[in-house]
Amino acid sequence: MTPRRQWLATAVLTGVLPVLATAVLAGLTLGADWGWAVAALGWLFVILVQLRELSNLAAWLDAPDSREPANVRGFCSELVRRLGRRLRDDSRKLAQAEAGLHSFREAMDAVPDGLVIIDTQHRIQWSNRAAAVHLGICLPRDGGAIIEQLVRAPGFAEYLGNPDVNAPFVVQSPAVRTRYYAVRVVSLGEHSQLLVSLDISDARRVESMRSTFVANVSHELRTPLTVVSGFLEHFADDDTMTAEQRQHFTRLMSDQTTRMLSLVDDLLTLSRLESEDAPASEEEVEMDDLLAQLLAEAHSLSEGRHRLELICDGQALQGNRKELHSAFGNLVSNAIRYTPAGGDIRIEWRIREGLGAFCVRDSGVGIPAEHLPRLTERFYRVDRGRSRDSGGTGLGLAIVKHILLRHQATLVVESQVGKGSSFRAEFPGWRLKAVG
Amino acid sequence: MNTHLSKQFDLELENIRTRILQMGGLVERQVLAAIEAFGTGNIEEMQQVIRNDREVDAYEVGIDEDCTLLIARRQPTARDLRLVMAISRIVTDLERSGDKAAKIANKSRKVYRAGARRIPRISDVEHCGQLATDMLHGALDALARMDVDAARQVIGADKEIDEAFNAILRQLVTYMMEDPRTISEALDVIWIAKAIERVGDHATNIAENVIYTVSGIDVRHTGPAARKAVRE
Repeated sequence: MTPRRQWLATAVLTGVLPVLATAVLAGLTLGADWGWAVAALGWLFVILVQLRELSNLAAWLDAPDSREPANVRGFCSELVRRLGRRLRDDSRKLAQAEAGLHSFREAMDAVPDGLVIIDTQHRIQWSNRAAAVHLGICLPRDGGAIIEQLVRAPGFAEYLGNPDVNAPFVVQSPAVRTRYYAVRVVSLGEHSQLLVSLDISDARRVESMRSTFVANVSHELRTPLTVVSGFLEHFADDDTMTAEQRQHFTRLMSDQTTRMLSLVDDLLTLSRLESEDAPASEEEVEMDDLLAQLLAEAHSLSEGRHRLELICDGQALQGNRKELHSAFGNLVSNAIRYTPAGGDIRIEWRIREGLGAFCVRDSGVGIPAEHLPRLTERFYRVDRGRSRDSGGTGLGLAIVKHILLRHQATLVVESQVGKGSSFRAEFPGWRLKAVG
Repeated sequence: MNTHLSKQFDLELENIRTRILQMGGLVERQVLAAIEAFGTGNIEEMQQVIRNDREVDAYEVGIDEDCTLLIARRQPTARDLRLVMAISRIVTDLERSGDKAAKIANKSRKVYRAGARRIPRISDVEHCGQLATDMLHGALDALARMDVDAARQVIGADKEIDEAFNAILRQLVTYMMEDPRTISEALDVIWIAKAIERVGDHATNIAENVIYTVSGIDVRHTGPAARKAVRE
């Protein structure tokens, strides 16, 4: 039986039939007038009952606290049952939707980019958590506020009026001046716009590092070139130069060209080290051999001005000999250049707590603590004048750092002003080979 | 904001508020750029600041006119009237702050053009400038949100800036006594520090006007106790 038929049957059985039957009975026993009267009264009664049930139902609908209204029976009970089911379905769906919305909001809050939705009058409708950091917009405090009143960077209002998706607007963080955010505007249908802000501080820093690097390289090359070109002009103009003067100038020029050459060499080494992640080939490097070679080089560089000491007490090291030689050589030559005549320099290779440690210790000028973290930056110099006088390119420690990284080693620098410094490269245990 | 019978009125009022805050944003950037240029010695940026001051002046004239027109046309009352009055006072404070930015730029240009070898107390001045721009930013935020608590915080921060200024002054006086050749550049630095300190004062005025708008109580020339008594 279809629900509609069932409803009809209920109505006929509970309302129409009893009244009809009583009316016919009354009509047959007491006369037709009585019969009509009973029918009219009966149906009036039925209608009143239904009305009362409907009003009960209406009252229940206003506040459906109980699952089903207790005092609705008969004719309307079917209606009530279905309404109740519908309500339960709806509230379940609502709860699901709310849970979905909640997790969506959580996800939006977790997004690292700032998101703000504004309406046509630029009033803030919604924003996520990152927007509070990026733009200083925080819900619920700023809900309904006009965004131009809070983001007041000059030009922002114009950008909002005429957004260009390809060229985002850059704002500085209100709280931390060194942070920058790129804001894009995306239209969301007809009535609202979405603002997306992206943290670009790191990109900007990299960009500025790159341009500083180019400026540094140009500066480093320019200085010797100026010297050389100055002497060349002198040569061309001055015929009265003595042979002795000529020789002196030529030697100075050749010093400068050597400096440029070593700078270019270092730059090439650095770029090669950067472009590959690992050394091309690795072998067992006999440290006795390598250290003897380093000591010989150190002697020729020092020209007898320093006391040199060598301690080699450890196994062979797995690595690229050429690169290791260049890294260790840089550390040794630094020690010689920054240690005044008569100082001590000790070159060590030994095993400490399972790590292979190559250490160069000097009794030189030392490095103030605030410079230590930046030592391996390119062209970073503790004392500009002295470093260039002693023939440094400013790239040595950057090269050392790169080579050590490729050998999974770390550079530990300890220094005290006036007492000397120690540069220690620590290699992981698995790179050590048993002797023999 | 309260709703008015006339939606148009609401719109006009809100527009003036937006415009003054935009002007505030511009002034904030001007002060920041001037102080930064003083630190880095970027002459080009100093000139840019001096040029941009005209834009600030144009804002002042425009907003003043809008305020007069609004009072004439709409005859605002109560809080709306206070807001319009406050805005027309804030405009003056902002314009003066803009002038200070131009002055900082002008003086630093002079210092650097004179070929100053070493500018004394540069980092202290920068620190003072950071305090002043933070105050200005806070005052404008308070105006945007009509936030009395934030405004009161700004007013409280003025003391710190005054102390920083006095410290700079003392150090520069010692500096000048040690080496009289530095007097001319030290004097210029004092002018710059003074201008920064004035920006802090203008930020305080703006914050006071925010309190006046919201609560109807004039806290100018009163002590901290009176300001504290202002509760909504």
